[in-house]
Amino acid sequence: MLPPKQTYTYDVRNSLSKNMVRGFWRMMTGFRLYYLVAVVALALSALMNTSSFLLVRHFIDNVLPSPNVMQIAPLIALGFAVLAGLQGTFSALSGRFTAKTAEGLALRLRDAMYDHIQRLSFRYHDKMPTGELLSRATSDLDAIRRFFSEQAIGVGRILLLFSINFVAILLLNPDLAVKSIVAVPVVALVSFLFFGRIARAYEHLQEQEAKLSTTLQENLSGVRVVKAFARQDYERDKFEVENAEQFRRGRRFLIMHSAFWPLTDIICFAQILFGYYYAATLVMNGTLTLGSYLAYAALLTQIINPMRNLGRLIVDMSSGVVSYKRMMQVIGTEQESLVAGNFQPAADLRGDVEFKQVSFEYDAEAPVLHDINLTVKAGQSVALMGSTGSGKTSLVGLLPRFYDYTAGSIKLDGVELKDMPRGYLRQQIGIVEQEPFLFSRTIRENIAFSVGREVSDDEVIAAAKAAAVHDVILTFPDGYNTLVGERGVTLSGGQKQRVALARTLLKNPRILILDDATSSVDSETEDTIRQALLKLMKGRTTFIIAHRIQTVMHANQILVFDKGRIVQRGTHSELMDEPGIYRRIYDLQSRIEDEVEREVADVIGLPV
Amino acid sequence: MSSDFQFEEELFTSQVNTSTLVRILGAVRPHWKWVAGFMVSIGLVSVLESFFTYLGKRIVDDGIIARNSEALVQTLALYGVLSLFFAALVFSFIYLAGVLGQRVRYDLRKKVFDHLQTLSFSYFDKTPVGWIMSRVTSDTERMADLVTWGMLDVTWAAMNIVFALIFMLTINWRLALVVLVMIPVLLRVALWFKNKILVEYREVRRLNSKITGVYNENITGVRVVKALRREEANRREFDDLAEHMYRRAFRAAWFSALFLPAVQILSALSIGAIIWYGGLQVNTGDMTIGGIQAFIAYITFMLWPVQDLARVYSEMQQAVASAERFFSLLDSKADIVNKPGAISVETMRGDIEFNNVNFFYQPEKPVLKNFNLTVRQGETIALVGPTGGGKSTTVNLICRFYEPKSGAIKINGRDYTDYTLESIHSRLGVVLQTPHLFSGTIRENLRYGRLDATDAEIEEAAKLAGAHEFIMTLEKGYDEQVGESGVLLSTGQKQLISLARAVLAKPDIFIMDEATSSVDTLTEALIQQGMEILMKRSTSFIIAHRLSTIRRADRILVIENGGISEMGSHSELMRQKGHYFNLYMQQFREELETQYDPFATGEHRAVTPKDQWVPGQVTAAGD
Repeated sequence: MLPPKQTYTYDVRNSLSKNMVRGFWRMMTGFRLYYLVAVVALALSALMNTSSFLLVRHFIDNVLPSPNVMQIAPLIALGFAVLAGLQGTFSALSGRFTAKTAEGLALRLRDAMYDHIQRLSFRYHDKMPTGELLSRATSDLDAIRRFFSEQAIGVGRILLLFSINFVAILLLNPDLAVKSIVAVPVVALVSFLFFGRIARAYEHLQEQEAKLSTTLQENLSGVRVVKAFARQDYERDKFEVENAEQFRRGRRFLIMHSAFWPLTDIICFAQILFGYYYAATLVMNGTLTLGSYLAYAALLTQIINPMRNLGRLIVDMSSGVVSYKRMMQVIGTEQESLVAGNFQPAADLRGDVEFKQVSFEYDAEAPVLHDINLTVKAGQSVALMGSTGSGKTSLVGLLPRFYDYTAGSIKLDGVELKDMPRGYLRQQIGIVEQEPFLFSRTIRENIAFSVGREVSDDEVIAAAKAAAVHDVILTFPDGYNTLVGERGVTLSGGQKQRVALARTLLKNPRILILDDATSSVDSETEDTIRQALLKLMKGRTTFIIAHRIQTVMHANQILVFDKGRIVQRGTHSELMDEPGIYRRIYDLQSRIEDEVEREVADVIGLPV
Repeated sequence: MSSDFQFEEELFTSQVNTSTLVRILGAVRPHWKWVAGFMVSIGLVSVLESFFTYLGKRIVDDGIIARNSEALVQTLALYGVLSLFFAALVFSFIYLAGVLGQRVRYDLRKKVFDHLQTLSFSYFDKTPVGWIMSRVTSDTERMADLVTWGMLDVTWAAMNIVFALIFMLTINWRLALVVLVMIPVLLRVALWFKNKILVEYREVRRLNSKITGVYNENITGVRVVKALRREEANRREFDDLAEHMYRRAFRAAWFSALFLPAVQILSALSIGAIIWYGGLQVNTGDMTIGGIQAFIAYITFMLWPVQDLARVYSEMQQAVASAERFFSLLDSKADIVNKPGAISVETMRGDIEFNNVNFFYQPEKPVLKNFNLTVRQGETIALVGPTGGGKSTTVNLICRFYEPKSGAIKINGRDYTDYTLESIHSRLGVVLQTPHLFSGTIRENLRYGRLDATDAEIEEAAKLAGAHEFIMTLEKGYDEQVGESGVLLSTGQKQLISLARAVLAKPDIFIMDEATSSVDTLTEALIQQGMEILMKRSTSFIIAHRLSTIRRADRILVIENGGISEMGSHSELMRQKGHYFNLYMQQFREELETQYDPFATGEHRAVTPKDQWVPGQVTAAGD
């Protein structure tokens, strides 16, 4: 069963509305007809059910007394079976179309949410915690699905049952009908009031559950402390307090339930008995037939009992509404376009980069980059040095347009960066980070991750070889098909980095950014990685962020950053000739070497 | 890695295991009166429901048809009185089953939590925290539901069918036999649907957790996804998965929607048969009109439980699967317990000796081999060496978090397994690399070191440990909340608090795993001050990372490959120019690099995840 086509053709963002009902209505675009069918089928099903009671009436009033009862009875039985069959068919039909609507909408939202999240800006993701987004995409979505599949249709069902059966009683005897619904508003009201409270009690219960979990979790993760101080009894008492509170709140919640159901039972019974009595007297004084009485007795319960659930459904619906709001907050956030741009490039970049008086800030009050001027010829390398927070990483983040500069101009191959589509830029720029993120897929998939086409095994292996990780991969039981992460092997920092390098090699970018790419690697692998990096840099414009003079000294240009400004620039030999931070770094690094040597020498003179 | 697979969640067992079922029932044994109470209530409810239908018949036959107002009023009055009784019964079974459910959950949680407190490290090292959490939170809930609502459902179903049959047999036994024939057919159909629906819902569940996983990864890795321009490919992949989910969810809903009508149609067939056959009998006088009405009502009556069958059965299966995991936790034995006749002593002051100690976590990978060491009372020992060499193991053995597999550890001349665990643990002061605090105030966290400490003593300990000053800068001072696991404090501050906590405990043996992450210079100095106090008072074992600590130790042990490779004072070891020399020089260079950082701003680096000591990670134990 494929999902209906209209699932994908509607842009969920169009359903944004301040008015909740309109929002839900718009969201149902393409599914409204289905939902309508579901509701109509539901009504027909209820109608068949009611008709079968009326058939019983006909049987008793007209068939039984007639002399032809032997001939007619089988027909009545058949009619009964047919009505039941129709009722079942319609009810199944309603279920099918409800499922189609609810699951279809869930699919539409799930897809839209997934895609939307990956197209939100970096700034958005910087602020929004993962857990928060995740809960909106999963539990809120499920609440909306339940809204359509259970609650909305459930309320519809109750109202339909009520009106159809009420009309049926009305046809039997208008006077009786009026006297049969006295209790209905009372039951509905009691139910609504109770479920408001029950929902609150449930919330309290959930709050306590969260508290209990925290206590438990802290106990488990702090097991070393608990044991080291022999505080088991203390911990037991602490847990006992929360556990007992949980029990008390649970009891309160249940007492409410145990009060609600018998209370409404009594109201319902009173109404039913009154109805029976009144109808029975009508039969006895000849106003009502016996068959009508029997039909009435069946119809009456169909009116009253469902009303008890109305309150619960309405309260549940409100949670669907809250979830809808939370989800729409995310959907309503602007995406960043991957294709928008005045300049639509036809070929790969050359790699000429020019910064003119560029400034950038994340928040208006905290500027990160000031007045950056910089020219890099295609294929050249630039090294960036500076303390944490001096703006190096922010600067390279501007090139793939992760963030847009707030003043000045950046030109790539002579074209203003803001005119270039983000998607194109990100294809042309490769980044190797200090702690690369790998996905829980196979190593092969991770390496081929950024290439939008089918990749041959040879290409993947060539990239892995160039990144000096091929041999390591072969030691894993499943080779290139080994899963990375929780379910598979855990790679060391250096191994991860080389897989990420292979990934970048295969991507074959025109501009390369190495963000502290060698600092977390132990000395043995450092050399192999450095070799691989040098290979990768050949013929590409490269930005290197690094701390050691050794790493940066061969760059065509070295920039020293301090507090968002470039304070020094030049080649290694130029910078060595002028006073400033660069020379100080150099001096300090050689001073460390000196001190180490001296310390070694001192060992000889240590006192015994 | 592979050891984690045993903790995968299997939501359903293929079969309901009776011995587990019996054990779950054990949970309600102490409350058997409550169980009896709700069983009797629901049984009476079922009887009354059948009887109400019977009264309905009497209203028709003896009241209306017989034109007997008196009988009508009498029957209605009886109906009314019984309905009050009925409401009372409904109250009683909801109250009894519901509150009992809460009570059972409370009992189970208490029991498992108490049990957890007795378990040894070996258990926590190989069991993920999340796994234990689910046992305590959700499994207990499912089990409690099973012994209350589950039992209630089953009783109600059985009673309904039995009483409906009894009443039908009394009214007209021939017609009742017709209905009886339908029951096996109905059950057959219901079971077929039950299996179908269960299979689909299991698949939906599996896909759902997979989708959550995919979402999670795409959100955590969103920056990489964007940088690599994977959006379209990801979306295509996700579409496939989501469509798959749609198909299964739709099928599951469709089967559920079919189930009810199928049962209804079957029942309609029997109702048809009754109208036909019963109608004929009315003419001959063997059946009354009220009787036919009652029969129709009884049939619907028997159907309710059948409709519920799939739900109840799947919940039962889940509960049994939950119980099996829960009991596996409850059955795990602590491997470190007090020996029979273990003595309780007030102090652990005295020399500590390792005699030919051997230890391993897995037999094929020995961690300590024939380890021998004597430490004098009051000595400070610095442990250095490569990761995985056995430093943490040595310390864990001293704390008796683990015990030697062979050989002995003696404290004050006596094998330490002769003492109770309590007497050893209460004399320890332990400060971990990643200090663990509990939510609550700073004062509460400090008092953890000694529960009967006065506020003045707490403050004094904090002063000694150098924590007082920063605490006073906080708005509420000692009453400031530290947040969940201490998140509101920095690593350095947490370390100061945990040092003060250890100072307050006045331990005889002080254990510290120095933090590898850097803190600012001032805090570092304060931490050193706190350590100094503890080192002076107790026999101390420090897993040392800083040169200042190493230099201050009385003796340095280089531990690698399961044994002591070098031992002596700083100068002795330096002169040997062995491993210690290399380790020292490496650390020397690193500290100089931080010290001479030309960009240093005084900020401290964030702790990287690998620095954190997470219990439950297999690797943590091997360090």
